[in-house]
Amino acid sequence: MGQSRTLQVAAGLGAILAWIIIWAWLTRPGGPVPTLYFPAPDDVWAKFVRMWQRPYIGSTLPNHILASLYIVLTGWGLAALVGIPLGIAMAWWKKLKWIVFPTFQLIRPVPPLAWIPLTILWLGIGDSARISVVFIAALVPWLMNSMLAVYSVDRLLLDAAKTLGANDRQILARVVCRTALPTLVAAARMALGNAWSTLVAAEILAATAGLGYVAVNASQLLDTDVLLVAMFMIGILGICMTGLIGLTQNWLAPWSVLGARRD
Amino acid sequence: MEQSVGKMASGSTNPATEAPAKLELRNISKWFGPVGDGVHAVDDCSIEVKKGEFIVVVGPSGCGKSTLMTVGAGLENPTQGEVLVDGKPAGSPGPTRSVVFQKFALFPSETVEQNIKFGLQMTGVSAAEQEARLVEQLKIMGLELFRKSYPSELSGGMQQRVAIARALVMQPEILLMDEPFGALDAQTRTILQEEVQRLHREKHYTVLFITHSVEEAVYLGDRVVVMTKRPGRIKRVIDLPRDVIWKTGDIELAAEHPEFIEFRREIWGLVREEIVSI
Amino acid sequence: MGVLTDRGKATAYGIFSLSVLLTLWICATSLFQWIEPRVLPSPAQVIRQFAWIITEPFSGLRLPGHILFSLERWGWGVLTAGLVGIPVGVFFAWNPWFKTFLNPVFELIHFIPPFAYIPLAVLWFGASTATQAMVVFVAAFPAIVINSQLGVAQVEKIYVDAARVFGASPFRTLCRVVLPAAAPSIYTGLRIAISNGWMALVGAELVVGKVGLGFMIAQGQENASVATIFVGVITIGCLGVLIDTLVQRSERYVLPWRRVAG
Ligand SMILES: Nc1ncnc2c1ncn2[C@@H]1O[C@H](COP(=O)(O)OP(=O)(O)O)[C@@H](O)[C@H]1O
Ligand SMILES: [Mg+2]
Repeated sequence: MGQSRTLQVAAGLGAILAWIIIWAWLTRPGGPVPTLYFPAPDDVWAKFVRMWQRPYIGSTLPNHILASLYIVLTGWGLAALVGIPLGIAMAWWKKLKWIVFPTFQLIRPVPPLAWIPLTILWLGIGDSARISVVFIAALVPWLMNSMLAVYSVDRLLLDAAKTLGANDRQILARVVCRTALPTLVAAARMALGNAWSTLVAAEILAATAGLGYVAVNASQLLDTDVLLVAMFMIGILGICMTGLIGLTQNWLAPWSVLGARRD
Repeated sequence: MEQSVGKMASGSTNPATEAPAKLELRNISKWFGPVGDGVHAVDDCSIEVKKGEFIVVVGPSGCGKSTLMTVGAGLENPTQGEVLVDGKPAGSPGPTRSVVFQKFALFPSETVEQNIKFGLQMTGVSAAEQEARLVEQLKIMGLELFRKSYPSELSGGMQQRVAIARALVMQPEILLMDEPFGALDAQTRTILQEEVQRLHREKHYTVLFITHSVEEAVYLGDRVVVMTKRPGRIKRVIDLPRDVIWKTGDIELAAEHPEFIEFRREIWGLVREEIVSI
Repeated sequence: MGVLTDRGKATAYGIFSLSVLLTLWICATSLFQWIEPRVLPSPAQVIRQFAWIITEPFSGLRLPGHILFSLERWGWGVLTAGLVGIPVGVFFAWNPWFKTFLNPVFELIHFIPPFAYIPLAVLWFGASTATQAMVVFVAAFPAIVINSQLGVAQVEKIYVDAARVFGASPFRTLCRVVLPAAAPSIYTGLRIAISNGWMALVGAELVVGKVGLGFMIAQGQENASVATIFVGVITIGCLGVLIDTLVQRSERYVLPWRRVAG
């Protein structure tokens, strides 16, 4: 078991290496792929190192990254502040759900991106336009999954709490919200995934800094190597953020990550 | 209510039988869905549980035993009839009537300690008192080593011990148990049956206990209520002797007692009639 | 008893809350003009704009024309994603070495959001159909691969063994046993891909192109015409729902063995 796992990891790394070699071979000087369309790996690496220190279109790479993170985390966090309580409340008080859900269902099928032009018209091209688009993109998973989290709490647990003398408020706070935590962690990941992907598009359309802004400018300036740096950074940051959220499950909901029963 | 089998228990030796009904289910009927069109689960059942009495309800599965218990606990309202505690309407569920469920119903997000303290915290018991009662209960149920474990880390038997501890720590006036050992393996079940028997003997809890096991009923009950198949009615109420040897020994020995065998045969006959009749 | 009346109540509450919303909108715009039409057009203005875009060309095309262009790009993207993604997914499950080798490229496509490919697509293909189709492809591809792989991996080994006992070749086993059993999962993947693709298309059209629904919204922004944006957004939302409903409904015809008895 342990050995086959090591083998898997080794094979995985080998595959990555193989692809880098293929990439380098295809883009070698005089190779079949012109570097204008796809730059060589060493060019991309050199550009990455350079962008880390020297500004590109206004800021260094770390500052572009921070600009993107600021928007995405603000929008995602605000969506959590609205989506979690509203979702839980809608699942708990069905009248509230009956009132709010139809409107929500009406807005849901519209791709979050379609709101960009509207927010730009309403709020200008400042941060608030992008934050609100990210907010809309993250709100749907937050709200839906918070509702699902409440619905998935076993009715038996509610009965048990009642027989132990808990009132509705106590049940909601202690049983429902806590039991729902693992689902909320999953919701956080989904919401962040949506938010991140929407942010990139928003930055392409209206921004003065950020990774999407770097990408679209690089494309116009035909800096393909910069474009690839931006794309890789977008991917890696996305993986890191969802990974971090996964880790929080260990201390937010330790019971949900325990091994099987001992018997 | 029909009475069967002469009272072998001498009522005078046990003051509890003379006491007023602690819990009374009076003419309970329960329909799920519209009356006449939905599921008729329970039909006109009356059961009296006197203080310190251990009443066992047996019946074929699906006959409405659990329904009767959820009504008794106040978790469901009966379609007809009423639930009385000490002669007064019982109202909504609360810690005077603690419940042990077949599927444990432990809060997965809380440790053993937190689960057991749950009800105490809900009802505003002081922290010192919580701790004292917790420690006592952990000791009684043999859970000291698992205080910080989560339910998912425990075996089924241990989980049910926690659930029982969580109910007992409330010092309930009435204990309702719905097939508490139904989900356990035979060995664990035997041990827990003996422990519940011992607890009742020592502390004189008032218990309404539901099971589909005739043997369990005879071993634990002061009185056994046999229900018909759905819609569940009361078929027969059988008084069992209280202070005979089998009530103090372990279940293996009890099961060899001639009287035990006689009661088991009689009750099984009644239950079998309900299962095989169409 | 409870279910029916609850549903009735839910509908009543829904109708009530939506009418309140509509009334508020009308009050704020047509009736009392709390909000300028430049910021929020009245329902009547939106409807007029709808009629206008259906009858008069907008940037060279009427509304159906824009819809057709959007559908074409989306169709190409989803089609290629399906044609490439299903075999890739099946072979991912069938042959672990194939998966190990291709995985880095797949993860790259999976983890970089589709919109990040827009600048690259523009650089490669300029303002052609291929640009938007590529973005749709990138958005649709991962869901198809993952679900096809899952479907094949879930096929119980006894079926494969049974086929082998009857002397079927690996290829025939794949076609006769594995693929039908994996089809529901593959279908689910396609469904997710189709809606992901639709979302991505809008983004791509916002950035690049001279026709399409996304372009229409972008033009609305350019001309500061909120009504045009509303028309575009509503059309996109409705088409999205329509497509998803069609796909969902069609499952029972495409996969007849999935029909549940009774
Ligand atoms: N919430 C409910 N809604 C509808 N029918 C129910 C519900 N709860 C129980 N029933 C039905 O009532 C009957 C009695 O159930 P139950 O009391 O659980 O039986 P037992 O515990 O004796 O096995 C069963 O036929 C069951 O299907
Ligand atoms: Mg039951």
